[in-house]
Amino acid sequence: MKILRVIVSLLVFLGGLAALKAPHVAHLRPYSLVYPSSFGSRFTIPENNPLTEEGVALGRMLFYEPLLSKTNTVSCSSCHQQSLAFSDNRRLSIGVSGKPTRRNSMSLANLLWVKNLFWDGRVSGLEAQAAFPLTHPHEMGQSLEISAKKLSKTRLYPPLFKEVFGGATITGDQITQALSQFERTLISANSPYDRYLEGKYQLSATEKRGLELFMRGPAPERGVRGANCAHCHGGVKLFQEVFHNNGLDSIAVQDKGRQEITGEASDNGRFRVPTLRNIALTAPYMHDGRFATLEEVLDHYNERMFHPSNLSHELRTATNVEGGKTLGLTSAEKKDIIAFLHLLTDSTFITNPAFANPHPKNKPIR
Amino acid sequence: MKILRLIHTCFFIGCVLVGNFSVVAQTLSITGEVKTPLTLSINDLKAMPQTQVKAKDRDGKEHEYGGVRLVDLFQKAGVTLGGELRGENLTKYVIARAADGYEVLFSLAEIDEEFSGRTILLAHTVDGQALPQGIGPFRLVVPDERRPARWIREIKTIEIRFAK
Repeated sequence: MKILRVIVSLLVFLGGLAALKAPHVAHLRPYSLVYPSSFGSRFTIPENNPLTEEGVALGRMLFYEPLLSKTNTVSCSSCHQQSLAFSDNRRLSIGVSGKPTRRNSMSLANLLWVKNLFWDGRVSGLEAQAAFPLTHPHEMGQSLEISAKKLSKTRLYPPLFKEVFGGATITGDQITQALSQFERTLISANSPYDRYLEGKYQLSATEKRGLELFMRGPAPERGVRGANCAHCHGGVKLFQEVFHNNGLDSIAVQDKGRQEITGEASDNGRFRVPTLRNIALTAPYMHDGRFATLEEVLDHYNERMFHPSNLSHELRTATNVEGGKTLGLTSAEKKDIIAFLHLLTDSTFITNPAFANPHPKNKPIR
Repeated sequence: MKILRLIHTCFFIGCVLVGNFSVVAQTLSITGEVKTPLTLSINDLKAMPQTQVKAKDRDGKEHEYGGVRLVDLFQKAGVTLGGELRGENLTKYVIARAADGYEVLFSLAEIDEEFSGRTILLAHTVDGQALPQGIGPFRLVVPDERRPARWIREIKTIEIRFAK
């Protein structure tokens, strides 16, 4: 009998624990993430914010919700537009203050796999990330508390938050949690390059040459030509979570990049190596949007880099000319690489209705 | 006193202005399933027994690397090695992480010399010279491996974990 009682109390205790972890999800439909097995499952979803159909749908509404800004005019989607793979076309983004922000808007594809976010990797996890643009005076400029209050006063949101999170009041944490749920679903895995990897797309001659140059490191002593892009931008996700100095300046003064986070001089001018997925859509390029075109980017890596003491080792040493100091690609080779880069555009990602603005046009329901 | 404070302030401002001055010296930390977490400077490392190994780098040429055997560092930190490397301790692994975020993994058994018969070195010199910026101050050297992808440059942290 005693044993039975112990078992029962244990079960009750465990049940209580499970309820503590996710008190709100019992009646909700789990959201199934779909991605190629080659992308792997090296990601973590917080236990207190599991993906649900209802949570993702709410996050999507919030992503397109200008009430989250001080002026009721700016939403996440203002600087992260679906047609541009969730980036914008400005050098530096413009938010509520009308003043340019400090850095170029990043594409939001495949953030599920990113651990440390922003150009400088300053924050871990999408929930914590979302608070930055929402509250930054030059971005959306409104505290999470005020955002929660404004949403509470609408007819639309209180029942949705109650369904997803339970509880009587909307909180700031619930806003960032729902946004994160939606962002985790923004998976881009259907570009011509992905189809090529599945054997369903035939490369043209220039695309094939571009792919080979992209993937290979140069070895002039063996007659191998390459651009070594894949060393940092390789893998099926075209992404690795590393931070490098890519020779944009002799010393980074205005924006020191990762040094501002770590305090280490060796991190001066180091920024995230971004994904190249949809790269043809996300101009202008670099953390400060200094390059307008892919051609300018290729010119930079090929012949215009500065050589600070902490320049990325691979960039320092890669050359197609024996004893050469620059990468040394020909203009035809650069064109081939750009042809390959266009294969990374996922047109289904930028037109997927599940990611589009869910609010009715011209008839905002408040 | 005032003068001292002034000098101090000037020095600080100088550091900030120069920008490239390394305010935080680069260190290596060993954390996780250890008795004593360590944060080591280059001088701490130089004060330990030094070992030389010869190995071929990516350039195909043989170089002599100098530094401290990783097992010695692990012993200092109190990692389960030798006789203790049995049972569940064989499910321990090691994540080595570079300043740029690059990560590689070893099983703990690979690093234990008694177990694997190999010497993995935490190097700070190559051919008698300090490792250059971008490679050092610390780099792992795994001499018998044909691809140097785990010779992690600018290594900053080593974490020992249990596979769960």
